[in-house]
Amino acid sequence: MRNKKVHITIIAIFIAMISVSLYYILKEPINLGLLKEPINLGLLKESINLGLDLKGGTQIILKPTERGGEEVTTQSLDQAMFIIMDRIDRLGLSEPLVTKDLSNNIVIQIPGEKDPGKAKEIIGKTAQLEFRLVTGTFISIKNQNWDTLKFDYEKGELVIDPDAEKVLLVDDINALVSGNLYEIDGELLSDPESEEMLLVKYSGEDNQETDAEVSSTGDGSEINVDINIDPEKVIGKIIYKPETRELLLVDYEDGSETGEILVDSRTGAATLVGQVLLTGDKLAKVAAGYDTYGEIRVALSFKDEGVGIFKEITSENIGRNLAIVLDEEIKSAPYIKVPITDGDAEITGIDSIEEAKNVELVLQTGALPVNLHEEEVTFVGPTLGMDSLNKGLYAGIIGFILIIVFMLFYYKGLGIYSALGLIIYIIIFWGIISGIGAALTLPGIAGIILTIGMAVDANVIIFERIKEEIIKSKSPRIAIGYGFKNALRTIVDSNVTTLITAAALYRFGTGPIRGFAVTLSLGVVISMVVSLLFTRSIIFLMSGISRINTPGFLGVRRRSSE
Amino acid sequence: MRFRNYNFDFIGKSKIWIIISLVMIIAGIAGYFIQGGFNLGIDFLGGSLMEVEFTRDVDVTEVRSVMNDIGFRNAILQRTESNKFILRTTPINTEVKNEILDSLDEKIGTTGTLLQDRNVDPGFGKQITKYAFIAVGIGIVGILIYIWIRFEFRFGAAAILALVHDVLVTLGVYAILNREINTSTIAAILTIIGYSINDTIVVFDRIRENTPTTRKLGYIKVVNDSINKILSRSINTSLTTLIPIILLLILGTAALKDFALALTVGIVTGTYSSIFIASPIVVAWNNRFPKYKK
Repeated sequence: MRNKKVHITIIAIFIAMISVSLYYILKEPINLGLLKEPINLGLLKESINLGLDLKGGTQIILKPTERGGEEVTTQSLDQAMFIIMDRIDRLGLSEPLVTKDLSNNIVIQIPGEKDPGKAKEIIGKTAQLEFRLVTGTFISIKNQNWDTLKFDYEKGELVIDPDAEKVLLVDDINALVSGNLYEIDGELLSDPESEEMLLVKYSGEDNQETDAEVSSTGDGSEINVDINIDPEKVIGKIIYKPETRELLLVDYEDGSETGEILVDSRTGAATLVGQVLLTGDKLAKVAAGYDTYGEIRVALSFKDEGVGIFKEITSENIGRNLAIVLDEEIKSAPYIKVPITDGDAEITGIDSIEEAKNVELVLQTGALPVNLHEEEVTFVGPTLGMDSLNKGLYAGIIGFILIIVFMLFYYKGLGIYSALGLIIYIIIFWGIISGIGAALTLPGIAGIILTIGMAVDANVIIFERIKEEIIKSKSPRIAIGYGFKNALRTIVDSNVTTLITAAALYRFGTGPIRGFAVTLSLGVVISMVVSLLFTRSIIFLMSGISRINTPGFLGVRRRSSE
Repeated sequence: MRFRNYNFDFIGKSKIWIIISLVMIIAGIAGYFIQGGFNLGIDFLGGSLMEVEFTRDVDVTEVRSVMNDIGFRNAILQRTESNKFILRTTPINTEVKNEILDSLDEKIGTTGTLLQDRNVDPGFGKQITKYAFIAVGIGIVGILIYIWIRFEFRFGAAAILALVHDVLVTLGVYAILNREINTSTIAAILTIIGYSINDTIVVFDRIRENTPTTRKLGYIKVVNDSINKILSRSINTSLTTLIPIILLLILGTAALKDFALALTVGIVTGTYSSIFIASPIVVAWNNRFPKYKK
């Protein structure tokens, strides 16, 4: 009698679990219109938190790299994530999710039916605003003509015409264009021994006294000059730092940074600028709009601290150009005529008002403490995912019915228990997924469908054991007891190994694969609990009723087969 | 349905089973070389991918000719539905993508919305590959340790060999069919590992249970009897698992079908290997290093 009480308690607990599950499944408002469908898929879908691959949306994975010699730390990464959240909020995109993955990449998920287009480009923008003095612009001379040097951002190198006779640094490119007074401050030469790219002082037209002969490797990436370079004349050497994608001018002796070569966004010309004098963190206000001539601009005003520095820079460098650099690109380089004391500046050289608004937004939210590289951008439209969800659910439902038919056919009366167990399994499974709000992904659907099949396995193992015991001429009641006892070890061992796989998938999987691991392990655990507790108790309780407890009901024709 | 006591001699014919498996694996390896390696997806290689919906039904040649005209001869085209195509190229930026879309719209006519749009950095693909290998490795080691603790080392080793067999056969099928391997395939392969081990454990559990009768019957008979006892369970479980998976293979979308294919192959080989590969290995091991004697 004590056993009976235990079994009734277990069944009562399961009824409670089913009720809670049904509560979570039904909690969402029910769209009555959908009930007209033969199977109420709408209800199932609404109770579940769908992954981006099913409901549609955009996922961006950004890899952080060090910026300005500062290594990526947990702190800088968290700060970057915070800034990104802020930007997405300001863009008015709904329900964004910003997380870190295993390799400390930043993963941004934005649900939405439409491709967010340009928005995705500005989310990961570093938005580092710098003010630096222009040292000069590189030009190449060929057949008495000159041309500005281009900069290959991908390779991080200067594009030098293989036929160029020489590469010079001119202090004021505008003056050169307009025919005004300019100076040649340097010449770019390749050290024949170390093959280093050197910037040397230019001493007039007759610098070729040593019979400089320019040759090229042909790919335009470097010039080899057969010349003896006077160490006295060397201004510095040019080095490329691939990790930060910076082309720097460093001191020849101690390697300290003295300048950087950047691209001018208006002309595409490679321009040498000095060190950073002021940065965007000293900004107080940023506003996109038009100036009095109708030109697009972003107006900037500094905080008190910045006003002072800006005044100092502009008063000490009258007659030079001040480059306004946004994310390693010179936006504009206005000529300093008079000292600016009110701390107002502006960025021009912007193509459209949308771009100006983007610049405004990224400057308002502040610079990211790390540089971010776009590793993966995925947009999935809502129709594609919904199609998979619908087809997956139909496959699951039909599969479920076929499995029950098969179980009834093969195991007769016992099949009823497995059908009951399977229905309870699905309700609890769905309830847990709804309750914990785990996102259902595409591989997750496959996982659910797989676990429906596997959930029956425990029943099959148990039923086969029961049949064996009945064949051994045990009474049905005793056979059921032995059947469960013998099957227990097998079921536990076989499911633990599946859980180990699921754990490995969860630990090392990315995005949707994790969803699969969650559904797989949930399925394994729930099916084990249902078959070892619920099915067991219900079979024991029912076995008290002798009419439905014959070997025939349990799917065995006694002796007829022996 | 009659309940039968099977009495097949699985172990006695183990040479045949091993030859069958070797033939399947060699066929897979041959397929690998004939097809010039695996058809790796964008997840691993990096690149750009778009799924375009056309306003009418189109065939591959039509899309191909438009792509050729605009200089994308190497683009991989996959027809997902009569009016839907996946276009895969080397990494390209938004402007180039728009050029492709404009050309397709002009020459064929598109609905104007992309069904999906992806860009994967080739470096990121390498990272995914790395983690896929780690996941498979950790999974296998974890399983080996568990079986070692619960059973014996020889059982663990035999189970792992059966697993390797299943993975090789599944990958072989992918190589022969030249089907794309993506992160879903890796998840499917890990699932196969979990499933196959599940099946193998059921057999081993019976062998472990019947081992005390070795003195009377001999180890070969013990193993044969054990397999015969679990035969109907193995077949029934495989059937109930295969039913929904095969439905997914028939009814599912392209992405679900990819997943379902790996699972179908894996479940069939997993069931086969637990009976025909794992158990003979255990017997062969016992023949060489006898522990259970008559």
